[in-house]
Amino acid sequence: MKTIVFELFANLERLAGTAECRVEVEETTGSVGEAIAALASVRPELAASLERCASAAGDRIVRRHDALPADGRIALLPPVAGG
Amino acid sequence: MSEATLSHEPLSIDALLELDAHPECGGLAMFVGTVRDHHEGKTVTALAYTAHEPVAARVIREVEAATRERFGVPYCRVQHRLGALAIGDIAIVCVVRAPHRAEAFEACRYAVDAVKHGAPIWKEEFYADGGSAFVEGCCIRDDFDAGHTHDHDHARDHASA
Repeated sequence: MKTIVFELFANLERLAGTAECRVEVEETTGSVGEAIAALASVRPELAASLERCASAAGDRIVRRHDALPADGRIALLPPVAGG
Repeated sequence: MSEATLSHEPLSIDALLELDAHPECGGLAMFVGTVRDHHEGKTVTALAYTAHEPVAARVIREVEAATRERFGVPYCRVQHRLGALAIGDIAIVCVVRAPHRAEAFEACRYAVDAVKHGAPIWKEEFYADGGSAFVEGCCIRDDFDAGHTHDHDHARDHASA
């Protein structure tokens, strides 16, 4: 098993009640999308919101099919106001 | 200060104007976004802006560069405020210098829309009734599965309008 650390922002942070969420995943978990699916399964109350979140590693947006970041940290970015 | 894309302190407009530079430019367009006192029928008393600062700063830099390239303007700067804001406080400033006014106006609008729709900066509104809410109108995510209907296309349309 390995640990993925999710950084939560804005409404997602409120919903989870924490700014950081650690999830143990299988060693075979290879993509950002697989890690987010693992988070959704252990925190089902977040699942619907996760669908609408962009993901980021460091200062870059990463996509669901991208490989897991080397440091195991993924930021989840909810929708913005836009207007 | 003038180099920052994000600021926890009140924004200073003068530093962004560069009026003593760009002699080839005959136009300066500026947009200043301020905190309004209402949202969907509710009275807003204050705001808080938070951000994923590394990504937000990168997005703003990329929008500035894309705006210069797309409209052929030599100067585009965007700054966004973070932290606790009162009604009337400045939330965002965008300045474009251009040889002529047409591209100055167009470039300024494009840059503001692109930052508003693409930068991970969240607005939490505080209401007169004691409640508060994050305003979530626009997904930053751009890799939905095919056939998935979400508002990311809508966001992209706005960003490129």
